[in-house]
Amino acid sequence: MIIEAHDLRKTFTTRRGRDSPREVEAVKGVDLSVAEGEIFAFLGPNGAGKTTTIRMLATLVTPTSGTARVAGHDVVTEAARVREKIGYVGQGGGVDENSPGREGLVLAARIGGMSRARARARSEELLAAFDLAELADRPVRTLSGGQKRRFALAVGLVNHPPLFFLDEPTTGLDPQNRANLWDEVRSLRERGTSVLLTTHYLEEADALCDRLVIIDHGRVVAEGTPAELKKEVAGDVVTLRLDRAAEARALLGAEPYVREVREEEDVLRAYLDDGEHNLPALLRALEAGGLPIRSISLDRATLDDVFLRHTGRSLRDAN
Amino acid sequence: MLRHTTLFLGYELRATLRNPVWPLFGLMQPVLYLLLFAPLVANTTAGGTMGDTLRMFTPGVMMMIALFGSLFVGFGMINEIRNGYLERLAVSAVWRPAIVLGRTLRDMIVLVVQALLVIALATLMGMRASLPGLALMLVLMAATGLLASGLSYGMALALRDENGMSQIMQFFAMPLILLTGIMLPMSLAPDWMRAVAQFNPLYHAVEAGRALFDGDFSDGSIPLAFGLILVLSAISLRWSVSSMKRLAG
Repeated sequence: MIIEAHDLRKTFTTRRGRDSPREVEAVKGVDLSVAEGEIFAFLGPNGAGKTTTIRMLATLVTPTSGTARVAGHDVVTEAARVREKIGYVGQGGGVDENSPGREGLVLAARIGGMSRARARARSEELLAAFDLAELADRPVRTLSGGQKRRFALAVGLVNHPPLFFLDEPTTGLDPQNRANLWDEVRSLRERGTSVLLTTHYLEEADALCDRLVIIDHGRVVAEGTPAELKKEVAGDVVTLRLDRAAEARALLGAEPYVREVREEEDVLRAYLDDGEHNLPALLRALEAGGLPIRSISLDRATLDDVFLRHTGRSLRDAN
Repeated sequence: MLRHTTLFLGYELRATLRNPVWPLFGLMQPVLYLLLFAPLVANTTAGGTMGDTLRMFTPGVMMMIALFGSLFVGFGMINEIRNGYLERLAVSAVWRPAIVLGRTLRDMIVLVVQALLVIALATLMGMRASLPGLALMLVLMAATGLLASGLSYGMALALRDENGMSQIMQFFAMPLILLTGIMLPMSLAPDWMRAVAQFNPLYHAVEAGRALFDGDFSDGSIPLAFGLILVLSAISLRWSVSSMKRLAG
C-alpha cells in the first residue's frame, strides 16, 4: 500500500472579526488505502474535505488526529521523507509565473538533487512529453490555463515521484485539455506511478480512476471501483416524468425486477438490472396502473446514482 | 542547505537579469535626489562646497535605497502564496529557509550594485570619500537591506494581503526616513525630535555613514550602528525564515 490512513481528522479554528473562535470539522475520520500503481480518486462536492485530506497526505496540513503513512513514511513524524517520494500539484498549479517554464523545471530538478546536466536533460524530456518545448522560454504568466497546468504537471513529475497528488486537476480546463490530461494521467499509471486525485466531476472519476472513495461532509461514504459502486445501485436507471409520482413510486416499488425507486422533485428514478429486457414490463405495469407518462429514458447507472444513494442528494445539486 | 540557497539565489538573479529595467527604475528616485536635492542643500549650508554636501547627503541616499528597495520585495511573495508556488516548494525536498535566503541574498546584491552606481554618480559630481569608509558603508547598507527585506518577507507571509501590507509599509517608512536626517540634518530639529531619532536605527546608520565617508573611524556612531543593524537584521531574517518554515505542515 502506498497510502494507508487511519481515522484522519482535521479541525480548523476560524476567527472572524470579534466573534468567538468557531471550530470547523473539515475531515471527520477518513480511512483509506491506496495500492501501488493505482489511480485513486476522491469524489465529492466542493467543501466535502477532499482537499484537506489530500493536503494532510501531502504533508501540507498536520492532521488533528489519526495517522497516515505515505510511501512507507509517517506524514507527521517523517514529513521530509514523504516529500522525497511525492509530486504535488495543487489547485493553483504552483508554477512561478514570472520565469520561463524551463527555468522552473530545472530548479525543481536540481532541488531534487540532480546535477545541472541531468536536470537539463530531464527538463527537456518532460518538455517534449508534455508538448511544451516551444513555450518553455516564455514567462509562464503569458501562457493559457491549459498550458500552465501542463507545466505544473511537468514540474510535479520532474523527480520521478512514485506517488503523484493532483488536487482538482481539470477544474477550469476545456474539454480538449481535460481529455489530454486524462491521457497523461493514464500514461503515468503505465509507468507505474500511483496517482491520487480529487475531483467533483463524476465522468472524470468514472473514466479515469481504478478505485475511488466518495467523500461527503468530511466522511467517506462509499469505496470501491466505479463498476462495483454502480453495481451496488443497479445496472440501469429508468428516469420517468409523470404526474402522479407517489402512486407510480408505490407501484414500481412492488415490481420484482425493480431494486429501488427514488423520487426527486418531479422526477422518478427506478433502479433495475438488465434494463433493456425489463423496460417493457415496467411500461406495462404503469399502463395497467393507469399512470400516463410524460417522458421516459433508460440509462446506465452513473456515479451520481451512487452518490445519490449514499447521501440522499445528487452531486450535481451538491456542487 | 547551502546548495539549495545558491540554487534559489541563481534562479532569482536570472529572473532579475531578465528584467533589469525594474531595479534601474528603482534607482531613479535616489538619483534624482542626488541631482536635484543635493544642490539645494548645498546652497542652504553656509560655506559648504558641493563635495562636502554630497559627503553628508550620499550616505542618507544609500540608506533610502536600502529601505525602499527592500521594504517592498515581499509583495511578489503574496501572489506566490496565492497561486500555490510556495506551497509546491514546501512539499518538495527543499530546505525551506533557502527559499527566503536565496531571495534575500539576491536583494542584497541588487542593493550593492545600485549603491555602487549612486557612489559613482556622486563621485562624478565632486564627492571625495574615504575608500575603506565606502566599503564599510556598503556592508552596513547591505545589512540594512537585509533588515528591510526580512521584514518584508515576514510581513508578506504573516499578512498575505497586499493592501494591508502597503498601508503598514507606508506608515513606517515615512517617519523612519524623516527621522534619519537624510533630507535635512537633525541638528536643525527641536530637542524632542532629536530624542525620538535616537530610537531610529536608521538615524544611527546614516550618522555612521557620514563618519565613514569622512574617514573618521573613531566615531562612536559606527560601532553603535553596526551593532544595532546587525542584531535587528538577524532578528528580521529569523522571523522571515521561521514564517517560511511554518508556511505549511
